[in-house]
Amino acid sequence: MTQTKTPSRASVAMASFSEMGGDSYIRRSGRTFILAFYGALRAVKLYPVENAAVTKSLDELALVAGEIIRHEHELEVRVSGEFIFLNSTRLRLDLENYASFSHILSVFRGASIGVLTVHEGPAARDWLVFVSALQASTREGTPQARFHQILGKLEQTGVRGFEIGPPNESDENEFHEKAKEAAKRTYAQSVTVTKDLINSVRMGKGANIKKIKRVVQSIVDQILNEETSLVGLTTIRDYDEYTFTHSVNVCIISVALGRRLGLTKLQLYDLGLAALFHDIGKSRVPLEVLNKSTGLSDDEWRQIASHPWLGVLALFGVRGQQELPYRSMVVAYEHHMKADLTGYPRSIRPRVQSIFSKIVSVADGFDAATSRRAYQTIPLSPADVLKEMRDNPRRGMDPVVVKAFINMLGVYPVGTFVVLDSFELAIVHAANPNAEKMSRPIVRIVSDDRGTILQPGLLYDLAQQDASGSYVKTIIKTADPDRYGIRVSDYFL
Amino acid sequence: MTSTTPSTAVQVPEQAEPPVSPALVEEMLKLLVKAVRAHQLYLPNNPMYQRAIELLRGSFTPIWDRIDELPLIVTEREFKWSGRAVHSEDSKSESLPWIFYKDGVREIRMLRGFETTEAEGLLGIVQRARNATPEDDDLLSMLWEKDFGNLRYRFVDLGMESAAAVDSAMQEEPPKGVDRQQVEEEVEEQKAQSGVVNLDDFDSTLYFLDDREVEYLRSEVRREYEIDMRRNIVSTILDIYEQQTDPAIREEVSQLVDNFMLHLLSAGQFSTVAFLLREVGDASRRAKDITPDQRAKLAAIPDRLSAPEALSQLLQSLDESEHLPPQSELLELFEQLRMSALGTVFGWVGKLQNTKLRPMLEGAAERLAMSNTGELVKLISSTDPAVAMEAIRRAGGLKTTAAVAPLAKVMSDRDPALRQAAVHALAEIGSPGALQVLEKGTDDSDRDVRVTTVRVFAAKSYRPALTKLEAAIKGKVLREADLTEKMAVFEAYGSLCGDAGIPLLDGILNGKGGLFGRKEDPEVRACAAMALGKVASSGASDVLRRSSNEKEVLVRNAVSRALSRQTA
Repeated sequence: MTQTKTPSRASVAMASFSEMGGDSYIRRSGRTFILAFYGALRAVKLYPVENAAVTKSLDELALVAGEIIRHEHELEVRVSGEFIFLNSTRLRLDLENYASFSHILSVFRGASIGVLTVHEGPAARDWLVFVSALQASTREGTPQARFHQILGKLEQTGVRGFEIGPPNESDENEFHEKAKEAAKRTYAQSVTVTKDLINSVRMGKGANIKKIKRVVQSIVDQILNEETSLVGLTTIRDYDEYTFTHSVNVCIISVALGRRLGLTKLQLYDLGLAALFHDIGKSRVPLEVLNKSTGLSDDEWRQIASHPWLGVLALFGVRGQQELPYRSMVVAYEHHMKADLTGYPRSIRPRVQSIFSKIVSVADGFDAATSRRAYQTIPLSPADVLKEMRDNPRRGMDPVVVKAFINMLGVYPVGTFVVLDSFELAIVHAANPNAEKMSRPIVRIVSDDRGTILQPGLLYDLAQQDASGSYVKTIIKTADPDRYGIRVSDYFL
Repeated sequence: MTSTTPSTAVQVPEQAEPPVSPALVEEMLKLLVKAVRAHQLYLPNNPMYQRAIELLRGSFTPIWDRIDELPLIVTEREFKWSGRAVHSEDSKSESLPWIFYKDGVREIRMLRGFETTEAEGLLGIVQRARNATPEDDDLLSMLWEKDFGNLRYRFVDLGMESAAAVDSAMQEEPPKGVDRQQVEEEVEEQKAQSGVVNLDDFDSTLYFLDDREVEYLRSEVRREYEIDMRRNIVSTILDIYEQQTDPAIREEVSQLVDNFMLHLLSAGQFSTVAFLLREVGDASRRAKDITPDQRAKLAAIPDRLSAPEALSQLLQSLDESEHLPPQSELLELFEQLRMSALGTVFGWVGKLQNTKLRPMLEGAAERLAMSNTGELVKLISSTDPAVAMEAIRRAGGLKTTAAVAPLAKVMSDRDPALRQAAVHALAEIGSPGALQVLEKGTDDSDRDVRVTTVRVFAAKSYRPALTKLEAAIKGKVLREADLTEKMAVFEAYGSLCGDAGIPLLDGILNGKGGLFGRKEDPEVRACAAMALGKVASSGASDVLRRSSNEKEVLVRNAVSRALSRQTA
């Protein structure tokens, strides 16, 4: 039977409740299924149907799907936001499967498929029909038209093992709203706790690591659950609270990047903790030096440049833990050292910059350069910063980490203010889940073509094409939101 | 699931008819409490524990027959389900609900499958939470780290102050509109400039990680978790010390290094301690503009480990430890011991119960003794007999001539074991001075010391002792001694006297006393025979042959043995 299906409210509601759990059967087999599905999509795209690679990949897919159905008595693939759920369990993203995830998300989204239910029985040739229809549908028309094309193809060929349904927008919206609220709460708590931490150290008091741990855990949960909302909040670059918001931003960006690099939940926690602590040494730099806007003397620069090693000393005093935060100490010490160790502080003993320091260094560099702060009244555009990181070897950033970072943020990072060819103004809301369309992010249009400010604005996927296959809207330039009196962070709140 | 809920209340839907009999849930919770107790009392392979787990698992079966998940509201003393209490405990501090409640958990939700894969993990967490000190992670962190798939929970974050809401209301009033002309002008103005991103720069395919890059990242993450972070921190703080000349910073860092060493010792990180001690030495040599005081303070850090109290603590804990750290780590650590450790090491070498540890400490003792003979000689006079004994032993082994004077003093010590060891040490040193001191040993009050001494004389062919030996042989005191001592003295004499001693020995062996009797008793005569054997000359053999038909069995046997040795 071929029919449309609406994702159940219960299963979508799980999205807000579900979290990365133990590596259950469904997660393991789900990963295998996604890889097999991706393999089949690629094979069908690249080779003629009679090619052995196609046959092999479809056999594999039919086998994996059949195995899941036998074990679980159902196989439902649901796409919600940036996630893929298999039988209501959210699948983990890791280094080995993130490309497959991206591709499947993009194919489903391109055909306006929110849910696919596979009934017992599809053989390899049934999968061939479905995968070919899915693959062919990505080429033309609106997503809704493609959805109907696929349905038609399945009807026409008599393949009855698949049931597809559109995305449930109200559930998706509810999911995003909940995620947004949770992100705001997490962000606010993180800033408060970071402020408390840095002020405690400044006053020579011990900082309470339990609170810090809790906020990092929340950040990790949030990034694993719905990354966009929290990453969007890093556009809050509060001048007065720079030191605190910067630490939180670096933590969020680092965890998001770490997730993209395939770190486990506990590794993300270690990374997040280290990132949150990375500038703790600044709490031992005099405020008058930190806040000085111009004309820093050599001695004052020297004091600011002391913060990495002062951070190590400060972290020896962080109380409430059985073991010292070694990894955080290393990151605090190394985050300005550069991959070739030509940065500061100078290393006397042999050392290789840790991967966590490299990640934090990229996140730190990005957030600092795109923020307005005491000695940088005009921030750089995110795109320019990415380009500088990529092209200027003197920045000393690990090229592979930078590459992954750009892959994560897209050409236009979240929060970038852009002008569309329709003369609408927009703010980048999220990178396109289809990594091949990184120059076509999802934006929030904040001003229409007549200049009317829209609040909260309209989300728009720049990958959308019209019936002729042309993109409907395209970014023509990045711009400074200050020139239009627009505060980017308002649109993430 | 980790999620926060408003601290005010958890909405509990009242249900008139619960889908499962509350008695089943009550029974399951009762068994959960029993399993918690069993987990605390027994090892996992204990049948009592296994039975408790089995019963707990079984109690879920009738529940899962009707529902897929079981949400429990947590209060201070109770678990509530479906609006009614299904478990309560009187003693709040001991109760299971309280363990969850006190750290902020307000709802736990068990899902089908929890009992098979995750129940034991929860029991472990409950036990850890019960025993947690204020410095340990709280229950929420433990639950978070465990990352349960079939156990979810909601909590209120008790530690968090209410953070100021991140709200757009705090922001400035947004503009009502923008000027379209401004947008168009800016587009035109910047078309020729850099505002427009060059998409060629960002060809998306450039940003997919290839296999090599994926492998690089993977290996970097692996390395991150394989390297010894503590060693990295040692390098870091000593790098800081070397480069920062501010006295206050140097003081702070040297304190940190000192404390860190103790921390590492208590954590059993011996290899890192050794690394720290080595690097401290480098830092004290290399540090920029280091003052003598700073250098002295730094240099004192390695000495701290070698101080008697600290080292005794370490050796005691190692000796009592069931699992000794890797040998390489211990050897590395022992290599860093300073001269001042020698006494403590000597004291412990004899005391150690751990047979694996002993050879390692022996090695350390050997190394320290060899490189610190002055200290070694000093320790011969230690008031601790174990230390003195080991020092004497080592001084002998190392043939330390400087030890002769203190060994001479030991020869007058009250402890015969020490005097005995001194005899051995002097013999091993073997210098004329040492052997001269040894002569005292012939008059020692202890029989073993005397026997050892004369044997040394024999072994060393120390002829100056001949007079003393001859006097002993002729004297009455030896006649009162036991056979072993008599034999030792006679044999030593025989070894040293040559043919010149034959008449004396002949007289003792064959000399006539009264009517048909002998002058000496059989034991003394037998000893004389053995001594003649040691002379090993034809004259001595002639004397022995004359006694070959001796009637006294003891004498005849001795003669026979002496002759056969000569033949051999």
